[in-house]
Amino acid sequence: MGKKIARNPDVVWREESEIRDKILEALEKGEDDSQASEQGTVTLIISGTIYQLNLLGGEIWKLSDGSLTVEGIADSLSSIFDVEKEVLLEDVKEFVDDLLAKGWLVYKDS
Amino acid sequence: MNREISAVSHYIKPEKSITTAPILVNWALTNRCNFSCSYCYSRLEKSEELSTSHARKIIKILVENKVLFLNLGGGEPLLKKDLFELVSFAKESGLNVTMNSNGYLLNNSVAHKIKNAGFNGIGISIDSHKAKIHDELRKTSGSHRRAIEAIRFLKKAGVKVYISSVVCRANFKEFEELVSFAKKQGVERLNMHNYKCSGMGFANKDNLDLTPDEWGEFYQRALDIRSNSTGIIVALDDPILALLKQAKDSPFENGIDNALVKGSICGKLTLYLRANADVTPCGFIPISIGNLLKDDLKELWTTSPVLQSMRNKTPKGKCRKCKQYEDCWGGCTARAYALRGDFNAPDPHCWYNPNGSNKKEDNK
Repeated sequence: MGKKIARNPDVVWREESEIRDKILEALEKGEDDSQASEQGTVTLIISGTIYQLNLLGGEIWKLSDGSLTVEGIADSLSSIFDVEKEVLLEDVKEFVDDLLAKGWLVYKDS
Repeated sequence: MNREISAVSHYIKPEKSITTAPILVNWALTNRCNFSCSYCYSRLEKSEELSTSHARKIIKILVENKVLFLNLGGGEPLLKKDLFELVSFAKESGLNVTMNSNGYLLNNSVAHKIKNAGFNGIGISIDSHKAKIHDELRKTSGSHRRAIEAIRFLKKAGVKVYISSVVCRANFKEFEELVSFAKKQGVERLNMHNYKCSGMGFANKDNLDLTPDEWGEFYQRALDIRSNSTGIIVALDDPILALLKQAKDSPFENGIDNALVKGSICGKLTLYLRANADVTPCGFIPISIGNLLKDDLKELWTTSPVLQSMRNKTPKGKCRKCKQYEDCWGGCTARAYALRGDFNAPDPHCWYNPNGSNKKEDNK
């Protein structure tokens, strides 16, 4: 069983829900999907610097509430993102590893 | 659906609507002040303060719009009698609240009130390691000593504290000493604010502002000093820093290279509230775009022509030919507006000459 992933409580964040809704609406209609990777749906503030996560990054971020492992997060996302599970899992792993290394995500037990 | 992952969007163009509301709101709770600093932007402003109930309404509006940070200033916020009540309410509502103070009114008892109200941090203004320079700039004898005492009271009470300084002619040559001084005070951060020609800052610009070349030299040196400083964060908040390679090569520091927006963050990530709830893009641009007691914040944020024009600048003057423009986005919009009356004009502090000419007329 993998470790559960949680957001670093020092990171202040919010969802840009209107932007997220617009992107999802466009994707549902099969419109240009470049916005999903280029536009931010979650805003993070870390030590005074502001970052944004794109749609997939933002969804992973929201699911990182300490209750799910990487596999669990990928499972939850499979209903939103229509890609093979293995591919999604690899993407989630890559993202989570990146943010763990930055300290923005932490293992719940650590 | 798209599955491509980009963990962090390093740069999203400012013309895109990247946030649905400001991240941070600076609020001048009062324009009353026990000081009369040489460069104060608000000393000449007169506006009525809000009642407690109206101020609470403002806080509710900020929370409803998912604003994350509220920074209180003025004037001297400690002069506002309902300050702690308002801050407690803002904290209970989920806001991160900080405050800038000159520290003069801060004693042990006030420090504990600050702690109990739940402030996330307090910025104490100190412009120099030398009391004489600070007291002269602040036009108040003993203000340096009181500011140091304020830091001590706050630290003792368990409040996060940082030092805020305005870079000007009186202190720019002794930046390294100021950093050492700040470290000695045990603060975790030194915020260096660039000189703005607004309010008293405009009236005193000939004596206190630096020349563009001096700004270039100062920032070059400041970045060197910062990179060699340990144990303290040195924040340089000037968008014109994008002109310097060192700033570009220092990601994950103070929002310079990997900041979400280029150029000024005002009107793109932040807004300013006057004491009467008038909304301006920043404290240094005296253009009211509405009033938060009467106008909808989201509407102002998304449709204000003033904010739109700040987010979609058109390079003018030397910026038109400048390859650095895509990094600095014209520098500080407030300075351009204050001295040249045009958001799109080149930042008057800009030392970079895209023509390679030394002629003044080519460098405007």
